[in-house]
Amino acid sequence: MKPKSLLALALCATLALTGCGSGASGPDPVKLLVFGAPEELGAYRTLIEAYQDARPGERVQLIEASDRKDLLARLATSVAGGAPPDVFLMNYRFYGQFAAKGVVEPLDQRIAGSTLDPADYHPVAMDAFKWEGAQLCLPQNVSSLAVYYNRTLFTRYGVPEPKAGWTWNDLVGTATAMTRDARGLVIKGTEAEGAARLPAVHGLGVEPSIIRLAPLVWSNGGEIVDDPVKPTRLALDSPAAREALKNLIDLRQAYGVVPSDAEVEAEDDESRFLNGRLAMLMTSRRATTNFRTITGFEWDVAPMPVYRQPVGVLHSDAYCMTTGSKNKDAAWRFMEYAMSADGQRIIAATGRTVPSHIEVSRSPAFLDPDQPPRNSQVFLDAIPTVRALPTVSTWPEIEDLSYGILENAIHRGDRLDDVIRELDVKSRPMFARGEHG
Amino acid sequence: MTASRPAPRIRPDTRARRQHLLMLAPYLVGLVGLMLLPALVTLALAFTEYDLLRPPTWVGLDNLTALVDDPIFRVALLNSLVFAVVAVPLRVLVALGLALLLHRRAPGVGTARTATLLPTAVPEIAYGLLWLWLFNPLYGPINQLLRLGGEHGLTVLGRTPPPWLTDPTSARAGIILMSLFTMGETFVVLLAARRALPRDVYEMAALEDATGWDVFRRITLPLMAPVLALLAVRDAIASLHFTFVPAFVVTDGGPPPYATTYLSLFVYQTGFEYLRYGYAAAATLVMMLLTVAALLVQWRLIRRYRRFYQV
Amino acid sequence: MSGLTLAGVSAAYRDATVLHEVDLAARPGELLVVLGPSGAGKSTVLRVVAGLEPATTGRVHIAGRDVTDLRPGLRNVSMVFQSYALFPHLSVAENIAFGLEVRDVPRRTARERARAAAETVGCAGLLGRRPGQLSGGERQRVALARALVREPDVFLLDEPLSNLDLTLRVEMRAELRALHDRLGATMVHVTHDQTEALVLADRIAVLRDGRVEQVGTPEQIWRTPASTFVARFVGSPAMNLLPADAAVCRTGDAPPLPEQPLEVGFRPEAVTLDAAEGTPATVDRVEVIGEDAYAYLTLAAGHRVVARVPAARRPARDESVRVGVRWADAHLFHADSGRRYVP
Repeated sequence: MKPKSLLALALCATLALTGCGSGASGPDPVKLLVFGAPEELGAYRTLIEAYQDARPGERVQLIEASDRKDLLARLATSVAGGAPPDVFLMNYRFYGQFAAKGVVEPLDQRIAGSTLDPADYHPVAMDAFKWEGAQLCLPQNVSSLAVYYNRTLFTRYGVPEPKAGWTWNDLVGTATAMTRDARGLVIKGTEAEGAARLPAVHGLGVEPSIIRLAPLVWSNGGEIVDDPVKPTRLALDSPAAREALKNLIDLRQAYGVVPSDAEVEAEDDESRFLNGRLAMLMTSRRATTNFRTITGFEWDVAPMPVYRQPVGVLHSDAYCMTTGSKNKDAAWRFMEYAMSADGQRIIAATGRTVPSHIEVSRSPAFLDPDQPPRNSQVFLDAIPTVRALPTVSTWPEIEDLSYGILENAIHRGDRLDDVIRELDVKSRPMFARGEHG
Repeated sequence: MTASRPAPRIRPDTRARRQHLLMLAPYLVGLVGLMLLPALVTLALAFTEYDLLRPPTWVGLDNLTALVDDPIFRVALLNSLVFAVVAVPLRVLVALGLALLLHRRAPGVGTARTATLLPTAVPEIAYGLLWLWLFNPLYGPINQLLRLGGEHGLTVLGRTPPPWLTDPTSARAGIILMSLFTMGETFVVLLAARRALPRDVYEMAALEDATGWDVFRRITLPLMAPVLALLAVRDAIASLHFTFVPAFVVTDGGPPPYATTYLSLFVYQTGFEYLRYGYAAAATLVMMLLTVAALLVQWRLIRRYRRFYQV
Repeated sequence: MSGLTLAGVSAAYRDATVLHEVDLAARPGELLVVLGPSGAGKSTVLRVVAGLEPATTGRVHIAGRDVTDLRPGLRNVSMVFQSYALFPHLSVAENIAFGLEVRDVPRRTARERARAAAETVGCAGLLGRRPGQLSGGERQRVALARALVREPDVFLLDEPLSNLDLTLRVEMRAELRALHDRLGATMVHVTHDQTEALVLADRIAVLRDGRVEQVGTPEQIWRTPASTFVARFVGSPAMNLLPADAAVCRTGDAPPLPEQPLEVGFRPEAVTLDAAEGTPATVDRVEVIGEDAYAYLTLAAGHRVVARVPAARRPARDESVRVGVRWADAHLFHADSGRRYVP
């Protein structure tokens, strides 16, 4: 055989092999791109199985990303490559860049023609996924921040548990009283220079991020950006914002009730709480799934402390359909199911979410008294007060930027004025490049 | 041999040439398809604004001028250069030291060679995760070891052990430390280079009673200098890439602000996390230019040493 | 006092013994050539003297010092390697001065002595070059200059001429001898080339399988080979060896042979083809080398013999000749041991 014909044959074989990859029988499955911890992924598998059982013939394929950043990268590259997933799950804080660029399919028409009633869902979550008036995604959950606390530790040290209506000063006092050394004596974590004096239990864990800071600023009557509708910079220079930021920094710098950076690096806050070495942890509903594995102690949730008025920050993920999907009708049918009371109950059972479906969120599927936290009502009570962060397409960059600056502020004790100026100056070009909904 | 003998006037064997071409074909197809085309596309995208989601638009040199003013890019560039300047010589020196130590046959040498190579064979992500554990400031074995003999969590010298991943300098040092153990390839090349050096030259030196230091300085080092220089240049080029996984897995570009954000991580973040693909392509272009500069240095070195050792 | 003495020296490579209790001595100022086929252990002798290989038994003395346990650098010997072992990255001047510089001789002095050494061997014009730019002969001179710059107690030369072409080898051979005579240094020169040995040596030590077969002046080696091995190894074409009782016509004064198994050896020069009562033989082939011709013969009894004849009077192929051996030039060896028979 001539070399040339051999080569041609080899090329043909390669093409044939790659070409027949998609030639399987039946309709293509709906591809669902999500990320999450193993339990969360398990919940999606359960949801998909339930859906396929309920609707014979429908098929959904789960695509698992390792984390949020991986999901963003996968989504962007698959869109660029012309083979995007049909449905993806995304937080409203990050969907802006996709919404602005026409990657997300508007759903108003499909909603109008379906049994899905927007009034069944918490409006604050629905609104977060509106872009220029159009409903782009359907919120799966409506979470907010709460203070998880280790009840067993509070009982042991005889410190009153946090309760609704507590103030920032109450939080600081409680955290101070709960920061203990190995012998169980109250200790000031700022002097943490040697192992003998390191706190064995820290009073509080809180991430140095803008999404933790935001509700505190809002509660104090301040703003985190100059214009919530068309933000151009992070503006924490108002007295109210300054005070909230300073108080957050003081948790480490003045009171030492939050673990130092080395301690966080050695053991992150969630593990620290799991291991019974953190009295309180300010985080979202997401942690619940993980904390339900705790057997060594009792825990519960309390509402966020209040400065002037109670304000929460919205955490919400939604099912979004890609405009590039080649399977939109099937994708929509899956989204309908996932958003239905049945679908919402399945996800709610994992504990990970506060269901966006109002009825489900008030049902035992969410408020199950046998499953910790007993006080899940806290999340529902917060919903009327939650605010959404600005949705600007460059928000991921802004979050990364502010995280670094705030981390240094809290752990290194940078000057407050410098911190505020740096956040302002460095965020400006990012906002300037951003697009708004 | 550069003696100019008249070349035999034989018609080139076309069959042999065709066979060579055929055997090269898969490689060429791969090279063009997987390396050259993407590189060219990236080059072109460097002059566009492109977010992966909408079609690219031509912006000329805007991306490059924006890079010049971008403090994060400047930090990343500086980080990459500093890494190359510090880590590359250290890596080559460690590899050289081990190669000189392990080039002879002796009991245990085989095991030692394998041990030297092993870290290079570990998948990068796993290697990164391993170091994440090693560097754990409180519970990690490195700091546990440093605390041995000290009291109250201090080292014997009464100092706090390095907070590896939370202090910028320690984190940079940590990444360099990580990179030192993956010099296996350099080690193998140097081992082979050392073993290829003529034995009688060393016997000559022994007869002249040259000390170990003299032998190293006057013989081994100059004889291996060309290889060392080439490896250093190669390593410098590679360092643009192999800083990625450690920074991605272990430090996530931190501690703030951007202490271990190297060019590679910068490109990844801007391109895939912030969807500024055109801008990332421009940064990649800068990386390519650095690579080309390094290759030029390499080429000059080769030419210079070829003149030195022509036989 | 002896320049160099090896007393009962053995050496082994891995598990194989390559030198068997060698006794050897070079007198001060003597040029001793160690001659033998490859694998005889010649280079090992040099390497043991230099200290590059350990002696498993025996002692080595250099200039009266027992150096057996000293490292090479303390033995004060110089060596010229077969490959010359020049440092490719150093100039000729630096190569020559290397030994001085690592011994902390001031740089200036080292360079001056290097120049002087280079002049001695006639390579002063090459001082600025690198080994890569030199021809084989030039490299050899540089290697010699490097060896003699330090004025060692013993020079060790490991087949230094073997990498040169024939003309150059002959030339360098003469120069080497002249150099030795000028310096008056003790030299041990290893070679497998018997001509080189005969031309160069004050004395020759013939080595075979790690044992000294014979030590003597070139004259002694040639005239009275101590064994059939030496007899055949020295001289070209090799000495004829036949059973002593082979039917061959003896010319000249020929005493009766002793009554024991012996071998007789005679060089081609001792063979005549025109003996009146000679043994009949046929000519197999003839090689003409200038004025001389070598005739390869088969005796009637089947033994093969080489004869040297003037080219002008050479026999033709297949010609029948009558062979006689000048018995005064013949050697007798014990048939079993191969050692020389001494009546």
